[in-house]
Amino acid sequence: MSETESKGISRRSLLKGAAATAGAAVGSGFVGGFPTIWAQNIKDVTITHVGSIYTTNPTVAAQAAKDLGFKVEMQTLDQTTQINRMLTQPTSIDVTDFGNTAMGYFKGKDLIMAIPVKEYKWWDKTVPLFTQGTYADGKPYSMQGYAPIKSQFWTDANATDYSLTPTDYIVGIPVMYNADTLGVRPDLVGRPITSWKELLSPDFTGKTALQDGVNVGVPDAAMALEANGDLTYVDKGNMTREEIDKTIDKLIEYKKAGQFRSFWTNFDQSVQLMASGEVVLQSMFAPAVTEVRTRGIPCVFQALDEGARGWYIFQMAMKHLDSGDKLRRDCVMEYMNWSNSGFNGAYFSRQGFYSSVPDNVKPLMTDNEYGYWYEGKAATADIIDPFGKVMEKAGAVRDGGALWDRMGKIAIWNTLMDEDRYLVRRWQDFISA
Amino acid sequence: MGKRRPVSYYLLSLFFAAFLLFLYGPMICVYLLSFQGPEGGMSFPMRGFSTVWFETLFKPGGRGVGDIHNSFFRSMRMAAIVAVLTMLIGVAAGMSFRRRYPGANFVFYSAITSMVVPGILVGFGISLALNVLGLRPDWWYSGIGAQLTWSLPFALLIMFIIMGRFDRSYEEAATDLGATSRQRFQYVILPLILPGIIGIMMAGFTSSYEEAARGALNIGTGNTMPMELTALLGAATTPVMFAIGTLTTLFMFVTVIGTLLITMSLARRRQLRLVAQPA
Amino acid sequence: MAVGVSPRTASWLQATPFALIMTALVIVPLGIIVVVSFMDYGFAEIIPEFFIGNWTDIFKSTLTLDLYETVLRHIVIVWAITLVLGFTVAYYLLFHVRSNFWRAIFLTACVVPFWTSGVVRSVSWVPLLGREGLVNQALMGMGFIQQPISWLLYSEFSVLLVYVNMLTLAMLGPIANSMAKISPSVIQAARDQGATEWQTIVEVIIPLIKPGIVVGTIFVVTAVMGDGFIVKSMSGNQVNTPAGAIMNEINALQYPPAAAKSVLMLVIVLLFVGTLLRFVDIRKELAR
Repeated sequence: MSETESKGISRRSLLKGAAATAGAAVGSGFVGGFPTIWAQNIKDVTITHVGSIYTTNPTVAAQAAKDLGFKVEMQTLDQTTQINRMLTQPTSIDVTDFGNTAMGYFKGKDLIMAIPVKEYKWWDKTVPLFTQGTYADGKPYSMQGYAPIKSQFWTDANATDYSLTPTDYIVGIPVMYNADTLGVRPDLVGRPITSWKELLSPDFTGKTALQDGVNVGVPDAAMALEANGDLTYVDKGNMTREEIDKTIDKLIEYKKAGQFRSFWTNFDQSVQLMASGEVVLQSMFAPAVTEVRTRGIPCVFQALDEGARGWYIFQMAMKHLDSGDKLRRDCVMEYMNWSNSGFNGAYFSRQGFYSSVPDNVKPLMTDNEYGYWYEGKAATADIIDPFGKVMEKAGAVRDGGALWDRMGKIAIWNTLMDEDRYLVRRWQDFISA
Repeated sequence: MGKRRPVSYYLLSLFFAAFLLFLYGPMICVYLLSFQGPEGGMSFPMRGFSTVWFETLFKPGGRGVGDIHNSFFRSMRMAAIVAVLTMLIGVAAGMSFRRRYPGANFVFYSAITSMVVPGILVGFGISLALNVLGLRPDWWYSGIGAQLTWSLPFALLIMFIIMGRFDRSYEEAATDLGATSRQRFQYVILPLILPGIIGIMMAGFTSSYEEAARGALNIGTGNTMPMELTALLGAATTPVMFAIGTLTTLFMFVTVIGTLLITMSLARRRQLRLVAQPA
Repeated sequence: MAVGVSPRTASWLQATPFALIMTALVIVPLGIIVVVSFMDYGFAEIIPEFFIGNWTDIFKSTLTLDLYETVLRHIVIVWAITLVLGFTVAYYLLFHVRSNFWRAIFLTACVVPFWTSGVVRSVSWVPLLGREGLVNQALMGMGFIQQPISWLLYSEFSVLLVYVNMLTLAMLGPIANSMAKISPSVIQAARDQGATEWQTIVEVIIPLIKPGIVVGTIFVVTAVMGDGFIVKSMSGNQVNTPAGAIMNEINALQYPPAAAKSVLMLVIVLLFVGTLLRFVDIRKELAR
């Protein structure tokens, strides 16, 4: 625990500046208070953590093992396989991550443990998005889509239903979140983009794209349709059948008119479409935007008038832990507390995601980094990603500004609709149109 | 030889060259793009020229690499086992079709069915069955089992083709000379179908190495290469993928050419031995 | 002279491991799939009650027709092209290439691209076919076009192109194998009778390689019918086929309708294969 060098330094041959070195050196020793479990056989314990590509990586796993004394075995899966694994082999997993697009699947299924709030160390320091259901200024946020507060709390220790108001049992610890908008090629678009409706603009026929999917692509499309005046909705993130029908029919019209170049399913496709100029305006995720920029191609994640699309990821523990070996459960709680204690948060903050406990992340990032990523300040030196690549030059300001500029205007959250079944069925019609 | 070539020969050669170009189109992109410099992306124009992406592959923890090393090892291990099992079970099954027997239809149609059903459904079906039985999937039985459902039908079809070429008279000659069925198999049948067997093993190996859908749910903990790569596709993809492509191609090339050379030299030695025997 | 088993029992023993694996790992899961197709579903859950809705949707909606129309179009086009390509290349390799060594090299060369992981290959089509890709660069460089062609990628064209690229070998292999069976004396006899090359092909070779064509057809048809991945990724998810629709539903964790569609697809393919085998009995070829 007193080592001040982490494995990462020797690999970062391309790094310049003290920035990352300082961060990494501080990483191990600064995170105080771990391990808190002292048991003879703790090093025989292996925690299985199954998650997405954003939340599982060998660097963090190695650091966890070092700080905590037990092994963390991570497995990266796509969401469908992950959910299948949860459903068919729940005892093979201890810890797992999911975002708003999947929380709807876990109601009433007896799979997820109810975490007593008091066992989670950082609840008081967690941003109010999760603890209160409001922005930092206390104003409640849009409830369209699967807003964080909709799946943050269990009604009671039985962990069957979600509660819309705070209780003593949380479904999971919030790990990361962000606000997405449309990615834009300012050099190819030719004019300032300020509204979601531009996705459907005849100026960009054949040059736009959506994410292929009903959980992200459809909300984006709904934002565009509503901004364009084509349709009105009660809840874009949870449509009724009529709203779904009208949305799909409208989208089919646009598709037949050739509005969309493509529908991307994975990260690389979205980067490809933008970087090559095949598309000038599209649904996009933040890391894809930065990836395009690291290739020297201008790409902007534009703050839009109507607001952004928000998402988050929770880290959850499996229910079988409550009725099993107590040491294992303790280790899992220890791990989850560690996940938000700083190292992990700093690691993904440097890729553009927000940590739910910014206070823990701040000491592990340089002033320059924290200033750029969280406070919307101009970078005082080059911003470098965890792999050594230069993401931004000194002087750049993050798209959309500070944390609460970006997260403070969410129009809709990523979602899993009640009428998901009907939506998927109609989405099939859309694809074959 | 020296016989003059007809015009069709030249036309067809040209055609074949064009065909190879077509086959290799995407591979050329993979090979070229794997040599990009650090600012390289996933398409042209090429940015820089270096071997940095190959180096990244060998330094764990780099961007876009995930856990390639372990998943590669797992894939190789499974592929080797699947290759051997496919060969043993597939060849035996193929041999069984030399006679009519009740149940032959079942074997054949179940093989076709297995080829056609989307892998994901086979995988899910197996996973569900295991869940009902209270068993936990693990790579060495359910993972391999799921992959066998994919490789075995191909082995069977390849056996059909091989057996179609097989001349019974050699076998009959052996029997007439007093060979037992084991001797017949070992000294007549086996050498004749050996190229086919090797083909089946290669097919089993490559199909297991490629396979993702059926195995994904049944592997247990620990991704195979295709699973790891698919997961990586969802995040920052980098030219490391191309480096992986170039290296694995090289690896397979060496393996197969090596196998072929060994086989050829064994065959040649057998020839020499036969010739050397006194008449 | 030999101990023990009758030929029939020998066959049974030989086929047993295969049959066991198929039964346990294919037939049983398929049974589950058939059962599941008649069930209702909620969020990532299958509700074990009898529910005919999945099947009524299949037979009542136009989606099924659209999907099968698309995939049949794909199958016919891909089959035709791979047949011509596969035949021509096989013919060249077996009847024009004289050295065994070169034949082996050429065959190996055809197989090498398939030793790269499918995932990597799927990513590599973009740098080839995209607006900034090799093909467009080449065409523009040679002056054939002024602007890059956009329909090379993310269209039905790219789907079919990838199918042909990946499946020609599946047609080539069985055809080549059948061609290899043809005794050179037959060809010689035809030539002696004054047949031109074309006549030899049409009247001698083609009839003799029918089993090869049938096997190749089976490979190609089942591959195209069963593929959801290529059609989705290469068309930018703008083209839907039965397999693609099944994948969409599986990814949305809606198994019963996916199961129903799968059963339908399976029945259609089995009927097709069964019909094909009426014309050429593969097994008769073996047990002569």
